[in-house]
Amino acid sequence: MHSETNAARVSRRTMLKTLAGAGAGSVLGAPMIWAQSLKDVTLMHVGPSYSIFEDIAAAASADLGFKVEMQNAWTDAIMARVVSQPDTIDIADLEFWAMQRIWRSQKLQAIDTAKITNWDKIIPLFREGRNFDGSDMSRQGTMPFEVQFAEGEGFASAPNGRATMMPTIFNADTLGIRPDLIGRDVTSWAELLNPEFKGKVALINVPQIGIMDAAMAIEARGDLTYIDKGNMTRDEIDATIAILIKAKQDGQFRAFWSSFDESVNFMASGEAVIQSMWSPAVTAVRGRGIDCVYKGLKEGYRGWGNGLGLMSHLEGIKLEAAYEYLNWMLTGPYGAFVARQGYYSSVPETTKASLSAEEWDYWYGGKPAAVEIKDPFGTVMEQPGRSRDGGSFEDRIGAIRCWNTTMDEGEYLVQRWNDFVAS
Amino acid sequence: MTPNRMSQLSVLPFTTILTVFTGLPLLMVVLLSFWTFDGLEYRPEFTLANFAAVFSSPVTWKIFGNTLRYAAITWAITLVLGFAVSFYLVFHVRNLKLQIGLFLLCTIPFWTSTVIRMISWIPFLGREGLFNTGLMQLGLIDQPLEFLLFSDFAVILTYVNLFTLFMIVPIFNAMAKIDKNVIEAALDAGATGFQILRTIIIPLSRTGIALGTIFVVTLVMGDFFVVRVMSGGQSSTVVSAMKNNIDQMYYPQAAAMAVLLIAVVLGMVATILRVVDVRAELAK
Amino acid sequence: MQSKLTFWLLTAVFVLFILFLYGPMIAIFILSFQGPTGGMTFPLRGMSLHWFADLFESSRYGDLGGAFMRSIILGLLAMVITVTVSFFAGLGFRRKFRGSGVLFYLAIISLVMPGVLTGLGIGTLFTTLGLRTNWLISGLGAHLTWTLPFGLLIMFAVLNRFNGSWEEAARDAGAKRTQVLTQVTLPILFPGLIAVALFGLTLSYDEFPRSLLTIGTKNTLPLQVASLTSNVTTPALYAIGTLTTALSLLVIAAAFAAIALTGRKR
Repeated sequence: MHSETNAARVSRRTMLKTLAGAGAGSVLGAPMIWAQSLKDVTLMHVGPSYSIFEDIAAAASADLGFKVEMQNAWTDAIMARVVSQPDTIDIADLEFWAMQRIWRSQKLQAIDTAKITNWDKIIPLFREGRNFDGSDMSRQGTMPFEVQFAEGEGFASAPNGRATMMPTIFNADTLGIRPDLIGRDVTSWAELLNPEFKGKVALINVPQIGIMDAAMAIEARGDLTYIDKGNMTRDEIDATIAILIKAKQDGQFRAFWSSFDESVNFMASGEAVIQSMWSPAVTAVRGRGIDCVYKGLKEGYRGWGNGLGLMSHLEGIKLEAAYEYLNWMLTGPYGAFVARQGYYSSVPETTKASLSAEEWDYWYGGKPAAVEIKDPFGTVMEQPGRSRDGGSFEDRIGAIRCWNTTMDEGEYLVQRWNDFVAS
Repeated sequence: MTPNRMSQLSVLPFTTILTVFTGLPLLMVVLLSFWTFDGLEYRPEFTLANFAAVFSSPVTWKIFGNTLRYAAITWAITLVLGFAVSFYLVFHVRNLKLQIGLFLLCTIPFWTSTVIRMISWIPFLGREGLFNTGLMQLGLIDQPLEFLLFSDFAVILTYVNLFTLFMIVPIFNAMAKIDKNVIEAALDAGATGFQILRTIIIPLSRTGIALGTIFVVTLVMGDFFVVRVMSGGQSSTVVSAMKNNIDQMYYPQAAAMAVLLIAVVLGMVATILRVVDVRAELAK
Repeated sequence: MQSKLTFWLLTAVFVLFILFLYGPMIAIFILSFQGPTGGMTFPLRGMSLHWFADLFESSRYGDLGGAFMRSIILGLLAMVITVTVSFFAGLGFRRKFRGSGVLFYLAIISLVMPGVLTGLGIGTLFTTLGLRTNWLISGLGAHLTWTLPFGLLIMFAVLNRFNGSWEEAARDAGAKRTQVLTQVTLPILFPGLIAVALFGLTLSYDEFPRSLLTIGTKNTLPLQVASLTSNVTTPALYAIGTLTTALSLLVIAAAFAAIALTGRKR
């Protein structure tokens, strides 16, 4: 025993941990020999820009003792890479609807929720598909719970301990407005198509999301009622695109944005006064001292959620490292980081501990800022006394009316969207 | 070694690299355009459905028309501009050092990131941009001009800004080779400037014009980024539409559209090469 | 020989063209010295080096230095390969050989194929073969599909001016094949090869669409800059532009200096 080398001791310790964590049953059978020790592991976490931060990778590496690398890529590019180049990723950071497309490729492995220490602290929305008060949530589009638990190549309708992804961050999206340039209150999605803002409206140029924002507006105006905005029929797509083409030809839209910075510049430079927007973009505009509000509207929000998935090729000690990393991601620092750009963490409890009381009240409580509120990089974005629009965490999440999604008629939608853009 | 073998050996590395990285991937794309796709993976079952969908959709014709329009306008402007600039440098700047210096001056912006050069137009052209505020301060307009940004105008302006160099380099190269004595002789014979341009300079620059045309047309027709950003997403070309399909992992129609696009561009280039045989010039 | 009028007209065109070319670039350089509270558009709110310092201090820009290094390495490799390979290919193309027509059209296809698609094809090919995409293999290959046809076409233009009888004369004088190559052909074609080299370097250095699906887990500079546009909305982006332009101009200047020095020796 005392002749053991350092490395062997480490791997032995990890092995014991595995035995304890997974239950002896899964490790019985062939003896495992791990050539590496935990500290030699490098994990590649590939995710979208709003989730990938070198500071977080550095903090995780320091706390965990092995190396975490991050690469920034667009959600669609990550999805394609999971399917076609799976070995270039260890941890895939994806939106939940992506599971609908790629889970059956079996390039991701199910996560054993028993190994996620804070699993029970994840909000019920993900774990049970219920609102905070136990009521049902809207299932238009892809509510994360619908694809949360795996069953073979498909999804289980009830919790079964085998998760497709571990939920990390989520939010309720709405329209961003420039109150100083509009000069009156805006309360409905219908304003997106209001001729009053002709030539000053922008929409996100991602077909699946852009059309849902448009559908929220069209439904609010009373032109159409959708069976499911998140899974339109061909007729519904045609009707929606027809209205959009008409609006475009009437000069309603100033532009369509494809990247985050475009949306910030549209708003900051006054090219648009009302548009689809992401929360960090609103933060960025405000950081420049320009008034911009992420307006809560009476028809509710469009929700989305991100999670971390484990690639199928992970095994042995690397898989253990991946579980340790997943656990670390729910301990607070990451949740606090993304909270400062307006996103919510799936485990608010640990996030609360990592935020100052004033920050918690502002971001999660919807209360007026008690002190200056700073963004993740230290720029002041809110003066004392002002509050985030839409109210508290529970209010905003509870008012989600549809979810980011991929539609059954997706290919047709993209074709018609191209038509709209070219018209 | 026979001359034939010698040549084949000489081009062998070129052949190998292009076969592996262009030939095989192209073959792949062509195959994919005829295969069925279940939203995730391909099955090698022959189908014409992808082409049927592409050919039957009016969108396809609209975006092809749009792409060709951009290519034609950009080509015309860069050709005139590129020709004028090269002509000026070769025939009006007598000092060789100055000539080379001015030529380099044209090429320097080429070493800045294209992405950054493109977005640098936005602060110029926007509603609150330099042009508009300038014009408004001068009292020439009282409403900002909206067509400057997020429009066809902005797209073509950016293309011309980014791609004129690809016209200048080959034309400059071709013009520099023209024997000045021929022109002197023509002048002595009483030819007018316009006649010299038409009968000597343009014909002798045709290799450069052909190459420049090929560069510019293929650059415009292969672009998706400029059109997406500078039109504010309000206009699309074949490749930008294809990119939308690829992003959402709907590959088959993208592949079919691509095959069609390559066929069209190849046809155009073949026509150009039929008029000006770039290779035949080598035999001299 | 031409009238004064055309001269002044063309001078005006040239000056306007240069302004058109440089205007936005200069705006970017100026804006990169924006004060700490300034935005990406005019007016300037003070002058400072704040955004340059921020590039080195803040972690929000990711591995910018690494991305720059990879782009330079990739650019240099693409340059060396492009020069060598298109040089020999150009020589080979001087006479018709079996397959020359097909090969020429393969080069043209390579040029006209949309970059996004080349990337998709190479990515799919690598997956099908069970290979891993990597910036030095699939990435470099993807860049070569772009730089090689350019190189070949420039070689055509260069060889256009080259007189084959010089080589013959050397051969008649008893020079060996390699001697002809290194002592006659190469020196005469040298300036043309510089053009090929510069094209190879810059086309690869700035490559974006072909890299998207072929680069693997490490971003190159254009990819990093493009992905930064999705979370950086400050003049730091311009500072990156200013800095990288300055660096690439240094590289070019060094190259020209080297050429001038070797030229003087000869």
